[in-house]
Amino acid sequence: MNNSHLSEANILYNIKDLVVEYHTRGVVVTAVDHVNLKIQRGEVLGLVGESGCGKSTLGKALMRMIEPPGDIVGGELWLDQTELMGLPEREMREWRGSKISMIFQDPMTSLNPVQRIDEHIVETIKVHEPETKKSTALERAQALFERLGIQKRRLNDYPHQLSGGMRQRTMVSLGLSLNADLIIADEATTSLDVIVEAKLVDQLEEIRKEFGVTILLITHNIALIAQIADRIAVMYAGRIIEIGSVHDVFLDPLHPYTQGLLQSVPNIKFDEREELYKMPGEPPSLSNPPPGCRFHPRCPKVMPICLKIKPQLLENTPGRQVHCWLYQNHPEKHQSTTEVAV
Amino acid sequence: MSPGLRRYIVVRILLTIPMLLILVTVVFFVLRVIPGDPALAIMREGASEEQLASFRAATGLDQPLHIQYLRYISGVIRLDFGEAMKRSIPVTEEIKTFFPATVELAMYSMLVTTTVGIFFGAYAAHRRKTAADYGIRISSIILYSLPIFWLGLMLQMIFGAQLGWLPVSGRLSAGMTPSPEETITGLYTIDAVLTRNWVLLKDALLHLILPCLTLGLVLAGIFTRLTRANMLDVLEQDYITAGRARGIWERVLVYRHGLRNAAIPIVTLLGLQVALLLAGAILTETTFSWPGLGRLVVQRIYDRDFTTLQGTIIFFAMIVAGVSLIVDVLYGFLDPRIRY
Amino acid sequence: MSETTPDISPAPLVDDDIGFVRRIWRGRIWYGTEWYITVAGGLILLSITLMTIMAPVLAPHDPNDFVGAPFTPPGGGPQALVARSGESPVASANEITDELIGVQRNQNGVNLAKEMELERERYQNQDELIAGLQNEEVDLVFIDQNLVPEVLEANPNFDVVNENLGRIYRLGTDNLGRDITSRIIWGARTILGVALASALLSSLIGIPLGLISGFVGGKVDRTLSLIMDSIYSFPGLLLAIALAAMLGPGLINVAVAISVIYIPTFFRVVRGQVLSIKESLYVDAARSLGAKSPNILRRYIFPNVIPSVTVVFSFNIADAIITAAGLAFIGLGLPPDIPDWGYDLSKGHSFLVAGQWWMITFPGIMITLVAAGFSLFGEGLSEILNPRLVK
Repeated sequence: MNNSHLSEANILYNIKDLVVEYHTRGVVVTAVDHVNLKIQRGEVLGLVGESGCGKSTLGKALMRMIEPPGDIVGGELWLDQTELMGLPEREMREWRGSKISMIFQDPMTSLNPVQRIDEHIVETIKVHEPETKKSTALERAQALFERLGIQKRRLNDYPHQLSGGMRQRTMVSLGLSLNADLIIADEATTSLDVIVEAKLVDQLEEIRKEFGVTILLITHNIALIAQIADRIAVMYAGRIIEIGSVHDVFLDPLHPYTQGLLQSVPNIKFDEREELYKMPGEPPSLSNPPPGCRFHPRCPKVMPICLKIKPQLLENTPGRQVHCWLYQNHPEKHQSTTEVAV
Repeated sequence: MSPGLRRYIVVRILLTIPMLLILVTVVFFVLRVIPGDPALAIMREGASEEQLASFRAATGLDQPLHIQYLRYISGVIRLDFGEAMKRSIPVTEEIKTFFPATVELAMYSMLVTTTVGIFFGAYAAHRRKTAADYGIRISSIILYSLPIFWLGLMLQMIFGAQLGWLPVSGRLSAGMTPSPEETITGLYTIDAVLTRNWVLLKDALLHLILPCLTLGLVLAGIFTRLTRANMLDVLEQDYITAGRARGIWERVLVYRHGLRNAAIPIVTLLGLQVALLLAGAILTETTFSWPGLGRLVVQRIYDRDFTTLQGTIIFFAMIVAGVSLIVDVLYGFLDPRIRY
Repeated sequence: MSETTPDISPAPLVDDDIGFVRRIWRGRIWYGTEWYITVAGGLILLSITLMTIMAPVLAPHDPNDFVGAPFTPPGGGPQALVARSGESPVASANEITDELIGVQRNQNGVNLAKEMELERERYQNQDELIAGLQNEEVDLVFIDQNLVPEVLEANPNFDVVNENLGRIYRLGTDNLGRDITSRIIWGARTILGVALASALLSSLIGIPLGLISGFVGGKVDRTLSLIMDSIYSFPGLLLAIALAAMLGPGLINVAVAISVIYIPTFFRVVRGQVLSIKESLYVDAARSLGAKSPNILRRYIFPNVIPSVTVVFSFNIADAIITAAGLAFIGLGLPPDIPDWGYDLSKGHSFLVAGQWWMITFPGIMITLVAAGFSLFGEGLSEILNPRLVK
């Protein structure tokens, strides 16, 4: 997929200035802080970040599934020419599962233990297409299972009778059962062992080729992104701090946080004398974040302006956006600005 | 039936025996805690030495304790609870006479309790942290804090004495008691349906309303809290969120999927509910002059008829153990994780 | 467009050096509605405790004294001094020296006259009383204050000399003429005493047994658990009834009878806590703490166990109150010379038919209120200490 520029017609989901807050125990936590993101049709976009950076919240917000004490307090969600924030809840419910679907982290707890697998799928289909006959729905379920490499007879089982990998593939098939345009995979492989994870990733690739679905892959596993994603978005403390194609970002990470992140991945060509790189400091508290750029307490390239004013997510180079004063100008900034090559 | 389930049931049945044994032993000791001379306590003052001596011989009180215990256990196993003191009727007969009334009361009260409890408990869990939720929680606590007999008396006063809408005592109006041929189960409502005696049915139902409301509402206080707690646990689960992400309606998620899952732990607590039901029945029957086992217990205490008291308590223990067993077996069938 | 963030970040919510009371007040924001529930329960408890302690000061009368006429309705008691118009020998009640006062049998007028040490003439009923005044047998009568309007209407030649004489019984009197308000106030002691005593007994037996059972494990644990489960599953009231029937009346006996029911609850809760702590600590203990298990476990267990025990204790007292009332209703309660709400309820039962509702209503409300207070306190506390974490 050519990622050097985004064409307007190709944007599936346009997230504008999204703000999600949590009100709990007297404090306000801004989990998603003015996020702007455009997801292209047919791509695999990897959303990466530490625990607590807000990526899961972002994922849920895209389906308007933020529950109290959280709330989407600002921004617009444009999915395919429709602004989701303006939809009444009952219409939004129709979109869930049929236009966007979600695959969850823990397949054991994400399946209803007292419901058989086929009932899961049939119920989903009938909710959105009530005229479908049960037998037709069952056929579709069987076809999906075959596609994903699960035996048909498993449809009669209960979730606890399936293995971990089978359960996750069941989740994937539930996500595909209504031919959704966008699949959000929220840490979908975190609880799987590596072999099963590899199989699942292969299948995601196949699905994408065959069905043309768009996938938003939310994970903290960078290797996964490297394997299957087209573009990568890095999130930190509720903000997107870098976006670009996987190739470009991995080769030449711009934001100091991204640099640190990639450095801390163990390299198989390890020199035994080298120590594993560890980024200093800890993620900030989202209820009481540092002023200015939120990364500045841990940043090796921090400048005076970083402590006072927040930078923007600017696209200085086509296809790459960075949220860092290193690459932006400001009247109060006295240091030089780095130009980024195309 | 899977081997897992079979084993589960067998183990459960075996567990009942030591439990019953313990309960029966506890009852034995509790009923012999009388300070002072038991014979004197039962026969009261004014009994002569010979009367006391013959009484002791008759009831076996003159034997050492372990012999008494053995005789007691052997009697229990044979379901021979002895004869009521001063009445010469076997205790088992007395139990048979008065048991159906308690069953009928318990049955319909349970209906009230579960209906109210499940509905309000699920609703409160669904609308967590709203005014409705807190209102339901506080109401449940107040309901349970009401003394059963006091609520009964208040209801009697309002609906019986002042408004005159409902009868306040007994199971039937005078002269309505069905003949022995018409009494099949002893539960008048069922018998009435079986013999198509609609007048009897109406009368029995009218008499049931106040007692069942009293007992049912007070217990509903606890049951609502139970349901709410279990529903909260269930609604927090991932599969509910996953279902929501697939576009399933809220109401279906809560009241079908949620309840279906919450029912499992709730069912296991039904055994305890029955225990509370029986305890509450004692007070309810006394308040409404309901001729059941509960009222029997109270009357026989007054008469100092400890044999009947003992037999009835053992019977209660058996019922509770039996219901627990049934409920636990039911649980095995309800939870697919055990069944398969 | 870039944003400026303020230089000062908002101050953290929790300081370390604020006092206990302010900490409780801050809890309002932190815990939300649960806080209000707990505080409401706590306030009820405090009021009851105050009532208990200050009973001698608060109660207008001795609860066992027959101070008034039997069956005085709430608000009843005050009398009016009535005479024939223009013929009253006195201008006010204080001036009565040796005049004869007409009083109605079994009405508060009798008590008032006795108190004022007046000569009285007793009449059987109201008709005879009024007749007595009309026929000039007596010149003055005492009539219930709230009956005055209708009496004056029926007898226009009567006049009121003095109004609102004598005591007012705010909640009425019972069948023996005892003031219900006083009985309620003094009854708080009784009910709290019994409930507290039984809860203490239950915890003193249940907690150590739970500790031992969870700690030692093995056969001891299994046996004890089986025994406790059996008792737990049994209808509690029945057990209490049996015990109370055997032991006979008396405060200690009732407390003992009730305490047996709740021993398994304490046992279970404590044992559960011990087990979960054992599990989490064994790993650490094995690695670093060596063989000093008993002391250290005890030091770790207690602070974790205390919150749950407090909650259970609260609910226990609430339950004990209700059970004690139940026992009294059946007749297995305390001897009659101790003012007891449960006893009042059981006695008042028979008079309900006659329409004398106040003997039952007020004790019943009090029992409900106090039991609910303890329950609310326990419920709120439990939510605060073991909150359900929302994901």
